[in-house]
This record gives sequence, C-alpha cells and structure tokens, in this order.
Amino acid sequence: MQNVVERVLNLLIYLLESPMPVTSNDVRNTVHGYADQSDEAFHRMFERDKQVLRRLGVPLKLEALDPWEIDEGYTVDPEEYAIGDPGLTKQERVALSVAARMVRLGGTEAGVGAIIKLGGLEQGAGIEPLAADLGEGADTLGELFGAIAERRRVELKYREQVRSVEPYGIAHRRGHWYLVGKTPDGERMYRVDRISNLAVGETANAFSKPKGFDIKAAVDAQPWEAGADPVITTTVRFDEDVAWWAARSLGRAEPHGELTADVDVANRDAFIGWVLSFGASAEVLAPDEMRHAVAERVRAALGKLE
Amino acid sequence: MTSHRTVSRISRILALIPYVLDRSTVDVDEVMDRFGYTRDQLTKDLNTIFVCGLPGYGPGDLMEAYMDEDEVVIDAADFFGKAPRLTPAEALGLLAAGMTVIGSGEASPELESAVRKLTKAVMPDADTTLTVDVIDESKNVGALREAAASSRVVHITYRSVAKEETTERDIEPWSVFATLGRWYVLGHCRLVDDQRTFRIDRIKELALRDETFERPKKVPEPGVGYVPREGDVVCTIELKPAARWVLEYYPVEVLSENKRASRIRFSSPDTEVPARLLLRLGTDARLVEGDEVRARVREIGESLLATYQ
Repeated sequence: MQNVVERVLNLLIYLLESPMPVTSNDVRNTVHGYADQSDEAFHRMFERDKQVLRRLGVPLKLEALDPWEIDEGYTVDPEEYAIGDPGLTKQERVALSVAARMVRLGGTEAGVGAIIKLGGLEQGAGIEPLAADLGEGADTLGELFGAIAERRRVELKYREQVRSVEPYGIAHRRGHWYLVGKTPDGERMYRVDRISNLAVGETANAFSKPKGFDIKAAVDAQPWEAGADPVITTTVRFDEDVAWWAARSLGRAEPHGELTADVDVANRDAFIGWVLSFGASAEVLAPDEMRHAVAERVRAALGKLE
Repeated sequence: MTSHRTVSRISRILALIPYVLDRSTVDVDEVMDRFGYTRDQLTKDLNTIFVCGLPGYGPGDLMEAYMDEDEVVIDAADFFGKAPRLTPAEALGLLAAGMTVIGSGEASPELESAVRKLTKAVMPDADTTLTVDVIDESKNVGALREAAASSRVVHITYRSVAKEETTERDIEPWSVFATLGRWYVLGHCRLVDDQRTFRIDRIKELALRDETFERPKKVPEPGVGYVPREGDVVCTIELKPAARWVLEYYPVEVLSENKRASRIRFSSPDTEVPARLLLRLGTDARLVEGDEVRARVREIGESLLATYQ
C-alpha cells in the first residue's frame, strides 16, 4: 500500500505539472516507482493507478499528441482538478459535518469523504442521538448520480433484461433507492439494488430532461394513485382506533373519532389490499361496485383456505 | 483492484495538503480532529508526503512535510493547492446525508442553506433529480430526539406493528434512528420492562413526563426487525410473484424461492397480522400451515362478508 500511495502521488504531481500530455512511456521513464518493471507488470500497475486517480475524482484525460492522432497522451487540467468553493459559512460547515456523520450509506458514513475534501470535519457538535441508514453501497448510486448530472445514457440489466435508459433522477423512498428515467417504452422506475451490469455512456449531454420533470412527483404517488384503471371515487370509513393511522397514509388531517374519506382510486387491486389490511376496522361504503370488489377478494382468500 | 482504504488514504492526503498550505500555522491536534487522524497515522502520511515530489526527486524537488512540536508544516507543494473535486459518489453521499436530516424535520437553517449551496455547486438542478425521504408524517422525530438527548421519560400512544393494537406506555428513549425508510426510537419500555424499538410513524401521541431516566452506559446498536419469541404464532405461507413485496415489508424467514412462488415462515405475537395479510392477498397467497391463523382468517373474512352483504 505504501508503494501505491507514493507512486500515485508522484504520478499525479507529474500530470499536474506537465505542460503537454504525456505518454505511458513518459510516465514509465520519468515517474518514481515504475522503473525496473517488465512491460506487463508496468501496464498492469499503470492501469490500476489510473483507476485510483479516477476514483479520487481526478479528471484524467487522453488527448492526441499530433494532428494525425497517432500518439496519445495523458493530461490533468489543474483548473478542472481543483474542487470548487461552495462558499459555506462556518456554521453551515458545522451543520454539514454533523449530518455527514449521522447518516450511513452502504455501511459507511455517507458524507465524510466529501467533507474531508471540503476542508475537514468541524468540531463543536455534541453527541447526537440521531442516526440514519440509507442502505445500499454508494458505488452504483454514485455512477448513476454522475450519469444524471452529465446527462449520459446508461445501459443496465433489470429482471434479466437489458435496457437503455435516459436517467432523470434518483430517489430514496420506503428504504430503497429508485432510479427514474426514460426508456423506449416510456418513463420507468427501477430499484437500484436490483440493477446489474450498469454501463454509463461515453457521451455527455446525450439527452435533455423534460422541463417539468420532478423526481418527487414521479415516486411519491400512493400505490392506488398510480394505476391504469379509470379513476373511481371511493368512500371508506375507518373505526376510531385506526382512523388516525389511515389519515396519515391518506395525507388527511387527523380526525377526532372515526374517519370517512373519499379517495380517488386508479389502481383498484392496490386500494382493496390496503383497505383489507385494516381487517374489520375499515369498510368501503360506496360505490357498490367497489363494495362487491372487496367482498370478492375476501371470498377469494377464504376459497384458498384448505 | 486497489483497496478502498488506499484510495481513502490518498484522498485524505490530498485534502490535508491544501488545508495546511492555506494557513500560516496549523496545530497537530486540530488536524487530527478535523481529518480524523491518529497521531501515528498523521506521522506516517507526513513521512509519505516528504518522499514525493517532482521528477528528479532530488532534495529541491520533494515536498516538505513534518511536525514541528505542536505544528504541522507542509511546503513546496503548490501543485496541490486545492483538493480534488468531489466524485459523484461523494457529492451524492453528502447531499443525501443533508437531505435525510432535513427530512427529519429537525434541521437547522444553516443545514438547509448548506445543502442549497452544495446542490448548486455539484448539480444545479439536483432539487428535481434527487430526493431523499425517510417517512415521518408525524413530526415526532424532533421531540423524541430531544427527549433522548435530555434523558426524559416519554408517554406514548402506540399502534403496534406486530399486533395491530393501540396501547399506552412510558418509554425511556435512548436513540432515534432511520433505517429501511422509516424512523425508529430505541429505548427501554416500562410496560414490558424490556428493550424495545418503536416505529415513530406509528406513535399517535406523545407527551414528555416530568421525570428523567438514567441512560445505559452503552446503548445497543440500533436494529429493526421482529425478533421471534417463544409463544409466537407461526405459519407457513406460499406467495405468488405478485405478492413478493411481502418479503420486503415484513420480517419473514424465506424457506424457498423460485420464479413461480416463494415459501415463507411468518412469526408474530398473535394471529391478527398474518390473517389480515392473507385476506389482503386474495388468490396471490396460500396458507400452507397454521391452524390458528386459518381460523382467524375465516373469522375476519366471514364478519367482513356479513358487513358487505
């Protein structure tokens, strides 16, 4: 590890200080740590070190050295390398430092890597009895986030199918991360932990996002709101002991006593399921069509009992 | 592949150098706090910096780095005047952390403005492309967090996930945390005289008692999930693919799983939860084993059919 650290630092200094792009041969002959290696060992080492630079956030580029593009060389633009100053005040840095340590992503503190680069953790915050775990490793999420920021198409495998997606946004909801984007079949939502074989396209600004797109609206519909059924307004009554709980799910004010609510339903199956999760403490009052549908589901469940 | 640890170590070095270069004197303790160093790690990294530099690698080419009594000194490292920019994963991590705390309803105005500035810097339209929410419709997270911080006993009206019943109890809140998309409070429950985890969105009402409690020296790591106990009702259920969401929603034991069906073991303190679940799932589930649960499904089902007649 010690050798890798020294070699990568020396390589980075060389790249930042060279006025011209440098070839891999230049690197091999100049940078400390690469000499005395066989061709194969050198190439393996150099590939690995380039990978480390990219993981550090170093914008390593390959550029043509001559107009005929026969030779190519590596370069790092010092301006592009440098982190921008978001202009945070001392108090804002303290607040971010606390948040960075409270929230975990993929088992590690989500924001600490970024805080270190922005000048380190601010002290002065007490012990915090609050913690949050957002699940999921940051690697796939980071790649998706980068693709969204730079508007690059991605290709991914989901349920055994390869799909091409224009990624619009990501959301953390109900304990999972979701990607929302456009596919040839329309807008789709994917659970990030079920995505495999993610490949990010080479071209930046490959698509434009629709103006009105809002990730919150895309993921926040209740299951019975997001459906293809013709919308049917359904009246439900909830007993007093579950009324407050149902009101929260429906986004209504908390009632005193029982609750009778009209709900616009676009997915009947999902809605009936939700009503039945209240057992005998909820009753669909109208229309008859929905009352029959509930009874039908109950009969079906009873019919499955042996 | 080079390890994550190596990359983190280099990243920290590349952040440390500009920090020290920017200031005339920098205290060793301050650097240790700020960058999370132990003294040994800091010494090691300074020694590493000291042997790196420009090609040629002679005395005039290498960076200077050492501890001078209580001061960290770094020089001849102008090429590292700034830290490298954030990777997408780092930016996402910090934004997500900030948004999560804001979502708890307990964020300071400073955190909100910090997240706004950061968002603008890394992704100007991030507010329409990134959203991190841990559900808390009740606004109780803040009150419980304060109660935990000041060791105050709290009285709650609670709707249990495992039993679908509403109870009143006094709890001693130790910590408030979010996982699997929801907020929880972990503490000692006086009703059952044992450690319990409560879902905050299922707390109907809470009131601070005029009483403090003694916080255990070591608060256990937060965790969720129903831990089966002796005397539980156990049943076996077969789920069709349409009902597979149950595996994510309830803490269940998966006995077997293939493309057509999943078989699960469901444990709960009484029959109410599995019985309602089976009614809800209709033909997408089949009770394989569990006589008590079967009887309860019949009971609720028949009472429902009477209502809907």
